[in-house]
Amino acid sequence: MSPFDKAWSPYAAGILIGLLQIPAFLLIETALGASSSYVTVGAAIAGLVDPSLLKIDYAAKHIAANAKNLWQVALVIGIALGAFVSMKLSGAVRAPISPIWARALGSSSSSLRYAVAFVAGFLMLFGARIADGCTSGHGLSGMAQLSVGSTVAVAAMFAGGIVTASLLLRRI
Amino acid sequence: MSSVAVGILSGALMGIVFGFALEKSRVFEPGMIVGQMQLRNWIMLKVFLTAVATGAVVLAFLHGFGFVKLQPKAALYAADIVGGLILGAGIALAGACPGTTLAQIGVGYRDAIFTLFGGLAGAVAFSYAQPWLAKSLIGTGPKLLFTDLAGIAYWQGALALAAVIVVILALIERARPWRNDLGADVDGDVSGEAARPRNRLAPAE
Repeated sequence: MSPFDKAWSPYAAGILIGLLQIPAFLLIETALGASSSYVTVGAAIAGLVDPSLLKIDYAAKHIAANAKNLWQVALVIGIALGAFVSMKLSGAVRAPISPIWARALGSSSSSLRYAVAFVAGFLMLFGARIADGCTSGHGLSGMAQLSVGSTVAVAAMFAGGIVTASLLLRRI
Repeated sequence: MSSVAVGILSGALMGIVFGFALEKSRVFEPGMIVGQMQLRNWIMLKVFLTAVATGAVVLAFLHGFGFVKLQPKAALYAADIVGGLILGAGIALAGACPGTTLAQIGVGYRDAIFTLFGGLAGAVAFSYAQPWLAKSLIGTGPKLLFTDLAGIAYWQGALALAAVIVVILALIERARPWRNDLGADVDGDVSGEAARPRNRLAPAE
């Protein structure tokens, strides 16, 4: 398990991710999560174009410059940095688009992949905000806290993912 | 140091560790996430359940000894089901979830930038719709834990969950060792190793 390895056991990585709940609960009094940061950044940008958005309490609450909101924005930026550092240390080289997409979509067109990715991102965050959490907030944190609602959300998430990947995508 | 500065600094450091672990486990790869949703690759479930079990043990102690308050979300069944289904469909088509999208951007996957912009647009669209959706679909609900239903202490339930997860992971690992799911290029693309030829249209020799 060296930082120069290309792959660690999923159990080692999972333990490391689970341990992040310690600083999250002790320092920020919150659980790990990722999807509200999209509201913080998205509403801050959209609010420049349409200030009336910020009159909606939900948007105003998420763009408030408090520790919890900015902690999560810093967290997701850190995720990109950490993944970049890990890749550089191991010398893993990636194609600009994962080779699985040509098979999953039945086309090697990069514009098609970009269009699907945009729609997918939209669905992902629209759904996560309806459910009030994503794979991190409901999944990692909600299930660890034995939350009934989070467990229902995670079951629905896997159901939606399995049905979509089976019906709309080809076998990878 | 102000609480906002502590938040940004700790968030960045925790994010770097999170992103490092996502890249090292390869769970952020589209091949792993689509593979999991097609039930042919089990790395995602292994990382996920290990992190849940670790979090449960950590919180059993922190909460059991009174160091922290739990932060569960309210149980809103209609919203959890509808939102979860839409989220899951998005995850399958993105080959990512909201957090791993950033890890994909970090390693240079170009399509992940489109996932990010789609995600920001989805979050803004939800913000506009939220006052209406809050009344029509989401509503309000109690912060309900399984241990409340069972009438036992949280730490007991959390340790029991961790024990059950360890057994489930041991069974999955025995049926499907994790190294088999990495792929030749550690990106979850195992097609090169499968019997199926990579290039079906190659002319016969």
